[in-house]
This record gives sequence, structure tokens and C-alpha cells, in this order.
Amino acid sequence: MLRSGHAACPGCVLALSLRHILNTLGPETMAVAAPSCAALICGAQPCSSMKIPVYQTTLESSAAAASGLRRALDTKGKQDTTVVVIAGDGGTYDIGFQALSSAVERNEDMIYFCFDNEGYMNTGGQKSSATPLYASTGSTPAGKLSKKKNLTEIMAAHEIPYAATASAAHLADLVRKVEKAKGIRGTRIITVLIPCLPGWGLPDDEAIATARLAVDTGVFPLYEVEEGQRYTLNQTTRTRPVKDYLMTQKRYRHLSAEDRDEIQLMVDRNWTRLAERSATS
Amino acid sequence: MNQAVRAIWTHESTEVIKTGSWRLALPAYVNLPAPCHKACPVEGNIAVWIQSVENQEYRDAWLTLIENNPFPAVTGRICHRPCEDSCNRGQLDEPIAIRCLERFVGDLAIDNGWAFPETAASKTETIAIVGGGPAGLAAAFHLRRMGYAVTLFDDQQQLGGVLRYGIPPYRLPKDILDAEIQRILDLGIDVRTNTRISSQTDFENLRAEFAAVFMATGAAVPKRLPQLDYSQPWVIESATYLEQTNSGDHAQCGERIVVIGGGSAAMDVARTARRQGKEVAVICLETETAMPAQRDEVLEAMDEGVTLIDGVMLRSVTDRALKGLELACVKVEFEAGAERGEFSVNSIAGTEFTIDADTIVAAIGQDPDITTLQDSLDVEAGLVRVDEQQQTSIAGVFAGGDLVTMQRFVTVAFGFGKRAATEIDRYLRSSTSASDSTPEQAVSTDMINTHYHPQAARAKQQMVPVAERQVSFDEVELALPGDEALAESQRCFSCGNCTFCDNCFDYCPDMAIKRENGGYRVNDDYCKGCGLCVRECPTGAIVMRQER
Repeated sequence: MLRSGHAACPGCVLALSLRHILNTLGPETMAVAAPSCAALICGAQPCSSMKIPVYQTTLESSAAAASGLRRALDTKGKQDTTVVVIAGDGGTYDIGFQALSSAVERNEDMIYFCFDNEGYMNTGGQKSSATPLYASTGSTPAGKLSKKKNLTEIMAAHEIPYAATASAAHLADLVRKVEKAKGIRGTRIITVLIPCLPGWGLPDDEAIATARLAVDTGVFPLYEVEEGQRYTLNQTTRTRPVKDYLMTQKRYRHLSAEDRDEIQLMVDRNWTRLAERSATS
Repeated sequence: MNQAVRAIWTHESTEVIKTGSWRLALPAYVNLPAPCHKACPVEGNIAVWIQSVENQEYRDAWLTLIENNPFPAVTGRICHRPCEDSCNRGQLDEPIAIRCLERFVGDLAIDNGWAFPETAASKTETIAIVGGGPAGLAAAFHLRRMGYAVTLFDDQQQLGGVLRYGIPPYRLPKDILDAEIQRILDLGIDVRTNTRISSQTDFENLRAEFAAVFMATGAAVPKRLPQLDYSQPWVIESATYLEQTNSGDHAQCGERIVVIGGGSAAMDVARTARRQGKEVAVICLETETAMPAQRDEVLEAMDEGVTLIDGVMLRSVTDRALKGLELACVKVEFEAGAERGEFSVNSIAGTEFTIDADTIVAAIGQDPDITTLQDSLDVEAGLVRVDEQQQTSIAGVFAGGDLVTMQRFVTVAFGFGKRAATEIDRYLRSSTSASDSTPEQAVSTDMINTHYHPQAARAKQQMVPVAERQVSFDEVELALPGDEALAESQRCFSCGNCTFCDNCFDYCPDMAIKRENGGYRVNDDYCKGCGLCVRECPTGAIVMRQER
């Protein structure tokens, strides 16, 4: 469902994730793409890498545009066509946030994919509200001083039918979550962590290894929340310290041991909270 | 008014954009050799047959094994397993128990009566093989499979050489040996036992009668210690001792036995003597961990009650008649030389001591018998001199095994037999020798993505309890049960051998890996050269290559 010749950087796992997501969704799918790396991968006029119709809209309006597309299809009796949004973290956490929150509040029938590479990476790597604490970006060269927004928790607070995190390093899990989301009606959101090779300062062959470390260290736990209530932690053990994840990325190169300890504590707290919710729900 | 509207939808595919032009290097499926393959004296395709075991295709595993070695049930028991020392998995947890798996497959073949595949079309030439030990039998197998007629000469009553007369049955049961030898003979081999090629005339006759000759008479002449009076009844050579006990006779000896030597033969003597209820001590020049015997042989001997006195040299023996022998010994510093068998020792003053004994068995190694051969063939340092094609100074006469090397391992001898067959074939077919291409580097541990190989303990070799071992010549090491063999095979990294796991296919962001003809192909139109496929390969079967 994704064609070769697209414009993603060599080794980009956004393209890889998109490939497996589209293959799982199948041809009865229409997409709205917010300006993002994902939109660039979809293709520039007159070429498309996607074997489905894609509507490229503005940064702030993708969830609203998808709502409209959904209603148009429903009117034409095409309830079986899956409507999806493909957007980056800038178009989700920041600029498209209002439209997204409203669409979730209306429980619009769509799957929203947020490809989270923790910054505005196709415009040269500026910080977004998805950029983690102390990560260096073009606009925060000495490291960002505020924490990353927790999108999945915000969505859970909307009592959205399905919110999940996923990773290209766990392809079977990603495919399972897409299939599960496809079988649910209402708004569903899947956030896929995309280690950005130029933006994070990684070699071309290291995106999967980094995505795997993000899960193994607990920095990016794989989990699902249903109806804002039922939590499921998909990988229930952390096997490595956060340091292992931080040390391979240039954006964290300036960190002191104390900085790394602080991040470890933050990850520990988040993990404990998730584990408790997962155990009690 | 009819005005053209500019299309605002896409109508072409990105496939017109050939992103392959971005690339600096292209992945290539290379099938590099696994380190075990490079370490194996018979160059066995170990990763390949272990993969067959993993797929439970046991007969395929056996067929791959016998391509290089017709004795998997023998090597599966007594090989010195350099493969396991080189195993990449050793860097992660523990090496694969390759020898246990080989025995598993070898025993299955015997139990199921699997026969060798058809030999090649018959050739006109007949080859003479002198020596029915490991090198000679292996050569007979390989030459016969190539279609040559083979006549095999041996001076003993039965074939097997050191396998039969040297290695005790508790390490290598005779029925196993017989089964694997018989399978070779079933290929149709003219066997002449009790025939010694002892004179120059015999040798000349062989040359005249046969198209080529392979000499593999082994090393049957014991080395002698100047400190010992070999005319005394209380001194026995290890070869004599083992030959007698392995044929069921009991060697005449006293109750307290001292074995001199640190090699496999010394361990075999000591453990045999324990089974006959003797009190046994081994003295050797080397320190325990530097002994040339395999480490587990030493440990098993000690388990069975053999006393090891290491780092010691015998100075003299006093016969005290009814009180037995008194061995005057001294502690030494042992230093191994550059070549196997070379060493120097310095006695440490003031460390002299004595040991009481009734019989001394000398097991300090054996040399080839070259007394007649040296009239015809060039010899060097007690060994027959051969060139890289294993040919002696006479065209058409080849030699191998202990006759030409100091590396006294059975599997090395099997390897000599295999290479001799190849070289004899080349000689007779007048084809050029092995290609001179530079040898390929083995797959290294850093080429394996160990994420796909979760930690798993190595299969444990189960042993018969010590109490039973001390009173029986039955086999000491137990077979690996089928489920454990399967689990062990799954631990193999399969270095350099694609297992068709689809990782390269699944992890390509550019859909540039195609499944094709049961394998994979890189589409260089679109591959951007990121290297993710190489990085995520669990077997090291792909490498990045610069393009010209």
C-alpha cells in the first residue's frame, strides 16, 4: 500500500511504520495528512506514494477535515471506509490540538495516527511540546527546560474509546493495535514513536535499535487505554537503564550524570503510575 | 468558456523517482562462513545442519554432516570440538553444544539404518589406501563416493586403528564404531586386513598396481622416557595397555598404577585402570589447565578417582622388590614451545618427593613408523613431508593423518582423509588445484543482532553417576534427549546462513527487499542504503558493500 520512491530519509522508520499500518488497514481507507514528514512521504505533486486517497490539509485542521470526510462518506453510504489522520507531533500536540480535542469530544469515527518524532523535524528540527526534557533542538540548543506533554493521558482524559502507543521496533504489536483500532468505532488514536535520524543525531541504521531501547528502558512504554479506564501495559518489564537510551543520541550529548538521573527518576515515576493503573484496571 | 483547470490531485506514482541514486552502499546477501565452519578440521557446514535439526529435518541434517565427515556418531562423542571454542554465541552466554547435537544426529542415522546416498558414476582408477584408521577410512569414503574403486590395507585384524585400539569403549562404544565403519564398507570397498606394507618392495608394488596411493598409517611407535627401563615387566606402553584392555584382555599389572603423561591417552589409561579397580595416579609435566588432554576428560578422570599430580617430572625409579617401586619426582616449571609437542622444563630445587607404585604406564605420545618409508619418501622431523596438496615427494603418493602432523586429533585425521580424496581426484583428473581466492572472513559476533537471540542456557551433558562409571566400561556420556536437542539447535545464531526470518524484508522502509525464489533480492532502483536490513539481521547473512 506504500510505494517505493518516497522522500523519507534513508532508514526512516516513519515510512516503515506507515508501510505496515497501510498494509494492515487495506485499500478501503482514506487519509487526511497534516503538513509533516508523513505528508512529505505521501508525495509531492504530481506523485503519490500511497495507494489510497489522501487529502493534504493545513497543520491546525486535520482532525476537523477528517470529521468532514467521515460525514461525506457516511452520507454516500460508505460507512465501511476507514478514515485516518496521519500527522506529526507538531500537528498533534501543538498546532492541531484544538481540532483534535474537539473531534475526540464529538467522538468522530476515525483513527488518528500521531508519528511522534519529538520536534518539528522537517523544518530543521525545532522543539515542539512533544520534545522531552533536556533534549537539544534547533530552538533549544542547550536543551529544552520543560517536560514532554503526555498526549495519551490527555486523550484518555477525554475518555476516548481507544488510545495506544506503538513502536516500529515491535511490528507485530503495532499491527495488532491497528487491527484492534480498525474494529472499534469512534475516535481512536495511536501514537508511534519515530526516532528521527537527523533530528536526534543517529546513524542511518539505528532507528529500530533506538525505538527498541525506548521501550526496554521504559522511556516510551507500550500500552493501551480503553474508554479512558482500562489500562494494559504491553511490555511489563524494563530491562535497561534510561542512560542506555540517552547515550546513543546526539541530542542528549550535553547531559550531565545528574541530568540523566533526573530523567531516570521521571521515567520511574511514570512507569510506576502506569504499572499501577494497568494492575488495577 | 472552456478553461483548463490545473489538477490538484496526484496522478502519478512515486515509483518514477529512483531513490537508489541517494545511496553510498548496497546491502548484499553474502553467505560468509561461520566461525565454527572455519575452525572445523573437516570444514563441516555446522550452521546448516543445525538449522535442519531446528526444522526437525533430521535426515537432511545427517546428509549435510556426511558431506564432510562419514563418522558423525564418532566425532559426536570424541571430537576435540574447536568449533565450540570459536562459537559466536560464547560471547553472549555459552557456545552451542555442537558435539552433543552431532551425536544426536549421528545416533539417529544408526538407529534408523540410514544409508549413504548413491555414489557417483564409477571411474576406472583404483586407489590404494594404507591404514584403516580415521584418515584412511575417511579417504576411502570420499574416494568411493566420487566413484573410484578403493582397496584398503590395514595391519590389524579389524579396521578402525586408534578408534578401535586406542579409545576406550566408555568414550566410544564399539557398536557405534562398527556401525559407522560398516556403512562405509557397504559402499563397496576391497578390504585387506592383517596386511602390512612393511618393505620397500611392498611399497613399490602398490605404486605399480594402483593409480594413486594414500598413506595413513598413523603414529604407532611409542615415544620413550630415558628415565625408564622398558625391559622391566613393571613398565607398560600406553598403546599396549589400551590395545589389550580394549580388546577385552587384561593387561598384567599391579594394584598401584602411575600413568605418565598429560594427554588423552594418559587419561584413557588412567580411567581404564580405575575401572579395573586399580589405585591410579597421573603425573605430568604440565600444570592441570595446560594439559593437552581435553579439559572434560581430565575432570571426568578426577571424578572417577584418579589422582592428578601435575607440574611434576619423574627422575628415576627404584625397584624395591616386594615393597614395589619408588618413583623419585621433582616439581617443574613447564613452558610450551611454539609447535605442539615442543616444550622446556626447569626443575624447582628442594621440591623433590617420591611416589609408591607397582606398575608404570608411559603415555607420553607416539611417533609414526617411518623406518621403511624413509627409504622411498622425503621425511622431516620424524614426519612424512607433504606439499599443500598432501602429495609426498613421489607423484601419485599422498599421505595424511598422524604420519604428517603433530596435531594428534581424530577429527584432524578425518579432515586429512577428506582433503586427500579431493587432491587425489584432482591429480587423476589433472584439474587445477583449489582456487587461490583469498579466504573469506568469518562472521563476527558484532554482525549478529543478539536482540533476536534471548539468553538461554546451554544443554547440559548428562553423565552416568561416578559410582557406576568406576565399575563399568559402558558409555559415560548420555545422549541428549530429543526435546533438549531441539532447544539447543534453536540457540544457534546460524552465523552467515540466512534463516529466511523476513527481518530484512519487514524492516525495509523503502520496499526495496523482494522475496524471490525462496530467498531475497535487493532492488537497487530504490534502496537508499540505510543499512537497517543489515543491522536487524539475526544471522549476519547481509553486509553493506560500497559500489563502484
